[in-house]
Amino acid sequence: MPGRYAHLWFIGPALVLMLAILVLPILVAFGLSFTDYGLGNGQTDFVGLDNYTAIFHKRSFAKMFGATFRYVLVVAPVSVALGLGAALMVNSLGRIGEIYKTIYFLPVMAALIAMAIVWELALHPELGVVNRLLATGCGSPLELWPWYAQGCTDGFPFWLNDKRYAIWTVAFIGVWQAFGFNMVLYLAGLTSVPRDLYHAAEMDGAMSSWERFRLVTWPALGPTTVFVVTITLIRSFQVFDTVEAFYPTGGGPSKSAYVMMFAIYEKGIQQNLLGLGAALTMVFLGFVMILTLAQRWLVERRVHY
Amino acid sequence: MADTSLAAAAAPAFRFSATETLKHVVLVLGAIIVLLPFYVMISFAMKSPAEIMQQTGGFFGTQAAFVDHYCVKLGNPESACMVNPIAYNFTQAFTKAPLLRYLLNGVIVTASIFFIQVIVAMPAAYALAKLRFWGREAVFGLVLFGLLIPVHAIALPLYVMLAKLGLTNTYAALIIPWTISVFGIFLMRQFFMTVPDDLIDAARMDGMSEFSIIWKVMLPTAIPALLAFAIFSVVAHWNDYFWPRIVITGARDLFTPPLGLREFKGDIDGNNYGPMMASALVIVTPLIAAFLVAQRRFIEGITLSGMK
Repeated sequence: MPGRYAHLWFIGPALVLMLAILVLPILVAFGLSFTDYGLGNGQTDFVGLDNYTAIFHKRSFAKMFGATFRYVLVVAPVSVALGLGAALMVNSLGRIGEIYKTIYFLPVMAALIAMAIVWELALHPELGVVNRLLATGCGSPLELWPWYAQGCTDGFPFWLNDKRYAIWTVAFIGVWQAFGFNMVLYLAGLTSVPRDLYHAAEMDGAMSSWERFRLVTWPALGPTTVFVVTITLIRSFQVFDTVEAFYPTGGGPSKSAYVMMFAIYEKGIQQNLLGLGAALTMVFLGFVMILTLAQRWLVERRVHY
Repeated sequence: MADTSLAAAAAPAFRFSATETLKHVVLVLGAIIVLLPFYVMISFAMKSPAEIMQQTGGFFGTQAAFVDHYCVKLGNPESACMVNPIAYNFTQAFTKAPLLRYLLNGVIVTASIFFIQVIVAMPAAYALAKLRFWGREAVFGLVLFGLLIPVHAIALPLYVMLAKLGLTNTYAALIIPWTISVFGIFLMRQFFMTVPDDLIDAARMDGMSEFSIIWKVMLPTAIPALLAFAIFSVVAHWNDYFWPRIVITGARDLFTPPLGLREFKGDIDGNNYGPMMASALVIVTPLIAAFLVAQRRFIEGITLSGMK
C-alpha cells in the first residue's frame, strides 16, 4: 500500500525549490525595484517609482529599448523565415538534405560565447575573413550595388565598431545561431502534415507548389509556427553572450547594442545598482510573460486541422 | 515539399531538375555562411601568429616551425625555441590558462545539475502523474507557472539571494538555480501519465515501496525521455555563459569553460589569436563531436521543448 504521506516526500523538494528559486526571486525583485538597494550599502531607502521612471525616461534606457527591439525584430522574423525555408528545402531533398540539416544545426550546439569570439575575429577590419571575401568581389558586377562599390573604394565597414552597423551585425550573428533550431522544429512539424491533404488540394486544382504551400503546408504548420515564433522571441529578448563578448563595457558604439540583459547585468552586477536592476528585471519579465501568455491564448483558440 | 518528392519518385533517377539544383545552390550558400566561423576557428588554431597577421598559409597554414619569442626572452637560444604552430597553439591554450581545470569544472557543474534535476524531478513527476493527494492541482499549476519564467530573467534577484547567503564564488552558486527544472517535471509527468496503472499496482502487490517503484519501475520505462532531457540539460549548461559570469567573479578555480575562454580573450597579449582559437576549439568540440555521432538523439533532445 502506498504510504499515506509518500507524496509529501516526493513533492516536497520540488515544491520548496520551485518556491525558493522561481517564485521568491520575483517577489524579491518586485520589492527591491522600489528601493535604492545595493550590496554592502549601509542603508536602503524606499524610492517609490523612481527606478521605473528612470527606465522610461532616461536617454540611455531609450537606447536600451531601441537596441533590444531592433535586435528582436530582426532576429525573430528572419530566423523563423529562414528556418521555415531551410526546412521546406531540406525536407524536399530527401536523404541528401540530411547533410544540410547537420550543418545548419552546428551553431545551436556550439557555445555561443566561443563562436562570438570567432565572429569578432572573422569580422575584424584587417585580419577578418569577411571583409577580405567582400574585397574579392570588387571589380565584378557586384559593384553595380552602390553600397558595394563604396566599400570597394573606401573600405568595407568596421562591422562591430561602427554604430551604424553594430546592432545589425550582432543581430546577424543571432540569426546565424538561431535559424537551425527553428529549422529542426519545422522539420518535426512537417512530418505531421497529413499526406492526404496534398492529394485533396491537387484534386481541387491547387497545382503549383506555391498553391499547395499556401493551402496545405502553411495552415498545417500553424501550431508549429506559433511555438517557433514565441520561443524565438523569448530567446532573442535574452541576448547577452554576444553583446558582452564584443562590448564588455558600455554596450557598443554609442550604446547602439545596449540590449536589456546587458543593461540588467551592467546596472545590477557591475554598478551594484540593484534596485534599478530589479526594476529592469520586472520590466523584462513583463515582456516575457506577455509573449508566453499570448502564445497560449493563440494555441487555445486556434482552429486545428 | 511533397510535390518534388512525389515527382522524384515517379521520374527516372538522376534526371536533371532545375528546381533541385537551385535548392542545392541556395542551401550550399547558406552552409558556407554557417560554416564560416568554424572554418576561421579551425584554421587559426593551426596557424602561426605571423601567418594569421599576414593572412597567408591558406586553411592549414604551412606548418613551418617558427621562433617562440617568449621562449627566447627567457634566455634560451633561438634554435631551442622553434615550435610547430599547432603544438604551440594548443600548448599555449592549456598552459596560459588552466584550461583542463575549466573543463573539469564544466563537467562537475553540468553533471551535478543533471543529477540533481533528475533526483528532484522524478519523484515529483511520479506523484503528479500517479498519486492522488490534496493540493496536487495547485502544485501542477505552479509547475505550469514556472514554465513561464526563464531563469536567466530572474538572475539578478537570485544573485542577491545567493550573495546574502555568502554563496557567490562557489560551485553551489553555479548549480543551485538549476536544481529545479519545471520543464523536466512537466516532461516526466506527461511521460508517466502513459505508464499503465496496472504496472504500478502489480509492483505494489509485490510489496515494493513507492520509493522503489519510482527508481525500479518508472525510471526504466522513462529512459528515452530521460536521455533526451539529459542532452537538453547538458548542452544548455555546458554552453551557458550568462549565469557563471554573474556568480563567479575572479575565482579562477571555479571558471567554467565559457568563462575561461572569455577571460583568455581579455588576457591575450597583442594579437595572439592562435591559442585563443585553439581554446575555443577545445571547448566547442566535445558537444559537436557527440552531436555528430548521435545526431538524431541530440536533435530530439534539444528540440524537446518543442514537442507537445
